[in-house]
Amino acid sequence: MKKMEELEIAGQIIGGKVANILLREKSGKAIELGDLLVVDEPDGKYLILQVYDLSYGSQIPQTVRELAAGLKLEGYGPSLDFLEPHLRNYVMAMVKAVAFVSKGGAKIPKVLPSFFSNVRFIREKDLSFLIKPPNPVYLGKIRSGSKILDFDVFLDGEEMLTHHVLVPATTGRGKSNLVKVMLWSIADHKKFGMLVLDPHDEYYGRNSKGLKDHPNAKDTMRYYTVNPPPGASTLVINLRAIKPEHFEGLVDFSDTQLQAIKLYHRQFRNEWVENIIRGTEIDGVKSTTLAVLQRIIRVNLAVYLEDGQIVCKNRVFSDSAGEATISTIINDLEEGKIVIVDTSKISDEAELLIGSAVANEIFSRHQDAKAEGRLDEKRTVGIIIEEAPRVLSAERLAKSGNNIYSKVAREGRKFKVGLVAITQLTSVIPRDVLTNINTKIILGNEMATERHAIIESAAQDLSSDDRTIASLDKGEAIVSSIFTKFAVPVQIPLFDDYAKMAKPSDKKVVFTG
Amino acid sequence: MRRMKFAHVADTHIGAHREPVLAQLEAEAFGIVMDRCIQEKVDFIIISGDLFQSGIPDLAAVDDAVKKMHAVREAGIPIYVIYGSHDYNPNGKSIIDILDSTGLIKKVVKGEIVDGKLELEFFTDSKTGAKLVGISARKAGLESRYYEILDRETLEEEPGFKIFVFHSGLDEFKPKHLAQMESIPISCLPREFQYYAGGHIHEKSEHTLPHYGPIVFPGTLFAGSPRDFEASAKGTQRGFYIVQFNKKVEKVEFVPVKVCECVYHEYDVTNKNSVQAQHELRKSLKELDVKGKFALVKVFGELAGGKTSDLKFAELKKMLSEKGAIHIDINRFGLVSKEYANMKVAGEDIGGIEDRLFKENIGTVKLSNADLKGEHGTKLAHELLKIVRQEAKTGETKKDYNMRVSEDAVKTLKLTGAMK
Repeated sequence: MKKMEELEIAGQIIGGKVANILLREKSGKAIELGDLLVVDEPDGKYLILQVYDLSYGSQIPQTVRELAAGLKLEGYGPSLDFLEPHLRNYVMAMVKAVAFVSKGGAKIPKVLPSFFSNVRFIREKDLSFLIKPPNPVYLGKIRSGSKILDFDVFLDGEEMLTHHVLVPATTGRGKSNLVKVMLWSIADHKKFGMLVLDPHDEYYGRNSKGLKDHPNAKDTMRYYTVNPPPGASTLVINLRAIKPEHFEGLVDFSDTQLQAIKLYHRQFRNEWVENIIRGTEIDGVKSTTLAVLQRIIRVNLAVYLEDGQIVCKNRVFSDSAGEATISTIINDLEEGKIVIVDTSKISDEAELLIGSAVANEIFSRHQDAKAEGRLDEKRTVGIIIEEAPRVLSAERLAKSGNNIYSKVAREGRKFKVGLVAITQLTSVIPRDVLTNINTKIILGNEMATERHAIIESAAQDLSSDDRTIASLDKGEAIVSSIFTKFAVPVQIPLFDDYAKMAKPSDKKVVFTG
Repeated sequence: MRRMKFAHVADTHIGAHREPVLAQLEAEAFGIVMDRCIQEKVDFIIISGDLFQSGIPDLAAVDDAVKKMHAVREAGIPIYVIYGSHDYNPNGKSIIDILDSTGLIKKVVKGEIVDGKLELEFFTDSKTGAKLVGISARKAGLESRYYEILDRETLEEEPGFKIFVFHSGLDEFKPKHLAQMESIPISCLPREFQYYAGGHIHEKSEHTLPHYGPIVFPGTLFAGSPRDFEASAKGTQRGFYIVQFNKKVEKVEFVPVKVCECVYHEYDVTNKNSVQAQHELRKSLKELDVKGKFALVKVFGELAGGKTSDLKFAELKKMLSEKGAIHIDINRFGLVSKEYANMKVAGEDIGGIEDRLFKENIGTVKLSNADLKGEHGTKLAHELLKIVRQEAKTGETKKDYNMRVSEDAVKTLKLTGAMK
């Protein structure tokens, strides 16, 4: 009778070098791209290997194989086969060692596995060195090729968020599903504030399952939208809450226009926008400059004057309501809530401006807290931004200068403010910004230039994983982070399935009249 | 056709002031409103919460108010009320319930939870046919749970002239300085009512939105907190609304009620030592015209030298009193000295400061019970503070008082079982 270990043998190491180890697959074992394999070493130590390429191997010369194929295809011998084909024809797997595990934990491997040693598929217990962190954010289960192991993958939210996250993927690979899963998990413990700028209105779940269904949603979630369902808040922001710096790096103001804005702000303080809209003329600002500023505000905020009244086309900006909106959002974030802002019905410019207003205030509060030695009291705040190149692309930054989002990417770590940047185009984000983003949750991507940009900026050496990334199916991801021992392949659960596992809230309301 | 009209009053906070002058002004303001309602022949009065300062308020203040309300009832004007956050008594009946059972006022909150939905019942004003329904406030914004389960559809489908009475801040309309206050989004309120009689926000405001009739907050009538005095002194109008209606609201008119002139003076001590500050403060207060007025002085900032106790506020008060001020209030919550600035508080009113201190300190104590931590813990601390602040009732022995406070505290902490 064969031992269990023998049954699990997937192949044998037959050669290669560091980061390019060759093994022969045991017939019928069907090693897959991305599979995690293990080589056991003495004293309970073991190496974890990952498959990054597969090829055929054969003991039979090419010409003989070609002839045999011809004979079968042309009907000379349909039952023709090689003698003991599983011995003569096989699959070769190219693997790299990703972790060396001993009692002391996992380390980057610096040795080759023993030559000619057996290789087996990974088991859940081989991953026990991956412990659940103190502030867990759930990402999914460990995946070995397309096989899903019953082993949950968490990252420490505190570390992950402050060191920023990039979610690169093309359409339909499960970006929003991943973000929903992460947010659902964050809502479990209320340890971080999360600002979600949601241009597709897909997170809250207005008409389907969403974050609103979380058992803690009443205490941990706030949803702003222009047409709120019962219980949600109206997205309305008072014009007096808008400061000149909120436009920084988002709108291309000329020096003259910037000077004019400063003068308006100096003279009218928080009523500066209203006075520009109303066309109040002041010394030092030409009427032509004022007209241009009015146009810029009309384009960006959709606010204009009609019969002497300030009107906002989409009712997001107001001169009477929404005085406390920005402050309330900031308070909520500081209390560890998830604030979802549905920006699907407003312009890109207005969305980025709202995000900028909140991010600026948070950043400034945290800077003050740090200066006063109170930063430890503050919760980490993450900002989720879709289509990140709108604010982080090299072109945008060269044209309009730094904005609050790039500032957060570069300096946020020091002030417990982080960015979760979602993008289809990693290649347009400057390298210095990318290198500041220390966790990449890589989903499938068929564009070679994008894959190269991701690989070049990853926390681990993914130079051999181009093919693996290209082959990632929907929901499959590779988590490359300075906080993981190796680039962890994960299977992100379907949000609906993940959310189903939560226990519904059993809080009963008693009406006392 | 006779125009129908009602008065909308809120946040009268009767019994908020113990100082005789302020108590008298408070009663006077309430009296003016009731007299005006009789004079204007309003069809009914809505008081949208915080009629009294507490569930069991000062009885002398209650006596004055009841007399005035009785005159109104004698004139055939019903008074419809809901609980405000102050009216609520977590441990039993409040004065509102007692007055309701006597028929002096009518609480327009009735409903039950059916299949997880809160179904409310309308009250129809017999004279005008106006239909009123409301949700009372609970402490610390707990009424938001009611809104979450409110059966809005049935309320929205009800025909006729409908008034929704509530005592909660609205996210969209609350002032910036109240950003931290518990509030509900407008989407919690049922739509298609002709008037929304709001309370809780101490500044008057009127708002309009598609699908909603006028949303109106009259603000406090006199003052429920020191911040109210400051706002009044800075020009915030106090009063109530008279609303004319037929099938819909035709006119919303604010009626100012001013029972005294306020003078406000603020002084920033930053970069000054206590001697300089005392000198400058005395000089500037000397120049104020306070005769027959309420003088409100706010002293804030960080002293560069000396102690805050070096500033002789009693002396300054005496000076203002001699100049004829009817009442003097010196707010020095924002005053700190460099030498003794080990505890900084950003709030400007007592409630704000308490809240901040609770929040700051709750994390420094190791607690195993989750209910005592975070926001829940802060709310509980507020509740407990309110209980221990209660004063002994007339004729109550010290023993009975101690027992009552202890029992209230035990109930609030939900320790009843543990004590058995």
